[in-house]
Amino acid sequence: MTTFLEPGAALLDIPDLPDRGRMYREIGARLRAAMKEKGVDALVLLGNGNVVYATGASWPLLDAGLSHVERPVAIVLSDDEHPHLYMPFREGSAWESELPADHVHGPLYLEFDEGVAHFAKVLADLVPAGATVAVDEMTGAMRNATGLFPGGPPSDAALVVGPAKLVKTSDQISCIRKACRITEEAVVEVQKSLVPGVRQIDLSAQFVRRAFELGATANMLEAIWQVMPNSKAEGTWTTTGDLALPLLTTERALAKGDVLWTDVSITYEGYCSDFGRTWVVGQEPTARQQDQYAKWREILGAVLRVIKAGATSGDLARAAIAANGGRKPWLPHFYLGHSIGTNAAEMPMIGTDLGQEFDDNFVFPAGMVLVLEPVIWEDGTGGYRSEEIVVITEDGFTPITDYPYAPYGAGI
Amino acid sequence: MSDEIVADGLALRTGRRARAMAQMEAFDLDVLVLGRQANVRYVTGAPQLWVAGTRPFAPICVVVRATGEIHLNSSWDEGMPEEIDHDHLYGLAWNPMTLIEVLKDIDGAATALRVGTDALSPTFGQLLPIAFPNAELVDGELAMRTARRIKTAEEVVALRGATRVAEAGLAAALSELSPGITEQSLTGAMLEAMAAGGVSTSATQDGAWVTSREHRWRQGPRDRLVADGDLVAFASGALADGYVGEVGRTVPVGDVSGADELFGRSNALWDKLIAACKPGAPASDLLAAYEVAGEPLPPMPVAHGLGLGFDPPVVSPDLPETSTEAHLDPGTVLAVTGYVWAQGVGAVYQRDAVLITNDGAEVLTTSPSFSGQSSVGIG
Repeated sequence: MTTFLEPGAALLDIPDLPDRGRMYREIGARLRAAMKEKGVDALVLLGNGNVVYATGASWPLLDAGLSHVERPVAIVLSDDEHPHLYMPFREGSAWESELPADHVHGPLYLEFDEGVAHFAKVLADLVPAGATVAVDEMTGAMRNATGLFPGGPPSDAALVVGPAKLVKTSDQISCIRKACRITEEAVVEVQKSLVPGVRQIDLSAQFVRRAFELGATANMLEAIWQVMPNSKAEGTWTTTGDLALPLLTTERALAKGDVLWTDVSITYEGYCSDFGRTWVVGQEPTARQQDQYAKWREILGAVLRVIKAGATSGDLARAAIAANGGRKPWLPHFYLGHSIGTNAAEMPMIGTDLGQEFDDNFVFPAGMVLVLEPVIWEDGTGGYRSEEIVVITEDGFTPITDYPYAPYGAGI
Repeated sequence: MSDEIVADGLALRTGRRARAMAQMEAFDLDVLVLGRQANVRYVTGAPQLWVAGTRPFAPICVVVRATGEIHLNSSWDEGMPEEIDHDHLYGLAWNPMTLIEVLKDIDGAATALRVGTDALSPTFGQLLPIAFPNAELVDGELAMRTARRIKTAEEVVALRGATRVAEAGLAAALSELSPGITEQSLTGAMLEAMAAGGVSTSATQDGAWVTSREHRWRQGPRDRLVADGDLVAFASGALADGYVGEVGRTVPVGDVSGADELFGRSNALWDKLIAACKPGAPASDLLAAYEVAGEPLPPMPVAHGLGLGFDPPVVSPDLPETSTEAHLDPGTVLAVTGYVWAQGVGAVYQRDAVLITNDGAEVLTTSPSFSGQSSVGIG
């Protein structure tokens, strides 16, 4: 089955599988160019997503509570074509990298004074005094150390890495698409098992197993199979008065007629997938439910018509609102869409509290990847939400997801 | 888990909160601003969405010492403890200034003199003074780490539960071990079983791997088929009710030449490691156990505290002084790791959860070791 996501331009030349070496070289060149543009001589990166981006290393991520201590750290120098990677050796740790051996080192323990004292020596050896340094996180021990950054307080590495991450290379897009393909293939079987009586957690179990069998590196998100309320008033209390999303998965058995909003994400080579569909348990959608889907498609279509390089987040938000009769077709605590890469949600987030001016000034470059997730709601229907991922091109877009909308859409 | 998302039990959350408050007092912190998921769960008792990996720092939770009030960044109240009412919830935001505006209005923010944060980004380092105009921003992670080091009785119960989930995952993966299966399938079986048992949140995703005969530490993609003669290692980690349970085992496939001797070495090391788990002993005794057993230290922590994530101590050859200064006080729960390797044979990896008690140690994990089952007397 094909979706209605007809590309607005010739299909991009995206390799079936990524060329890791080329991806590493192209990202390295882009990141160093961004450093030079911002006047940053050295980047110290602690965030998992930033380290994956800068070094190309990919490993099965730990839970958030574990990942602060046992985490890879990258030091990127603007005048060295290879970043330095300080990698913990978890037992059997599965990771790959294109780095030369003399740039791969043992772990840095930046949570501890002793580890930071060692880090200070490492940094002094690599980074000349007076160089400008940017970091993405300061641990307590880093903050307590004196003289760690002799060139003055470091600036925020997010201001360098964020803009560099915006445009994807064809190999990065290949990674995201492969992650999406693994996800979609795993979901096919999950959807088949969606019958009354199955528990939410059973869907999670089935998904994670199949995703790993198909080559996922890591599960990124606790799988969401949220049963939507009959009305906003009957739903979970929220600060906005609107719908809660995502609500956590439980052992709740699904019942005939339940409307599910789903959301799952895995990584392949460190790049994330993002999958979302609306399903109905054990029966066909009603005419009113089909109308919700039709409306959702209309909104997505309106957004896709304005997408191209040079368009802004503001353009997309306006198109979506106009297609929805003047109301925002997304939840107030979320967004109409976002980018994706080594983190499941990257800038730009469209239609948030960052404001109209921010959205109007955010101009899409070709090669940016966008996850679009409009939300439609009418009490009594369970609403409709799905996600599609497109790559921005000079003339329009290229889709990289093509999962069917069943049980919605029959006859449309 | 049940059909509903519920807050951590009253005794669990009040016991933890009392420990956190005591450390705010000891470290003279008027306010704690927390961004790390484990710290947020520790003080709030509210389950949160699991997302793998580190998160950038953001002010997710604010604790005011003078009033004991807790404010949490959540757009809904599902699973929220009753003491964190709607007035103490602030919604998700993408603009840091939205959060700063909320923090500014918290009772006690304007007058706070010392505000601890558990991490910091340069951006929030610049913005937080707007919310706390009279405060010095200091490290708050050490206070939280100190609070978390010793477990309350209720936390030990939760850790036992998490350990059982990890062991169920291990058993499921072991039951599928046979020549021809892929490493990825074994990992999938492990994660599937834990999820089916009610826990879809893993602490680790290392899963299963064929240990290397050529390298002490294998590095490489997980795409191999299991074959006769392999030593296959399993690392199972679950995050159940917020707590980390971990267990590790190694199993031979078919007849592995040299395995008996290697398991014997592993057992001998294991006895030394468990003997080092004595109340009041320096954590570095665990490093010394490798030396006493005549085994080279692995390039990773030989033990780390278990709790809502990595808790102190972290006993690593890279942190010799830290490990010497840390003591194994009763109420500490450790994941203790044994690792031995032989050229041409492979590795035997074992990890167990150990509770330090007043008069010794209790091994919380009960999964059989291969050598314990079939090679009695070795070592």
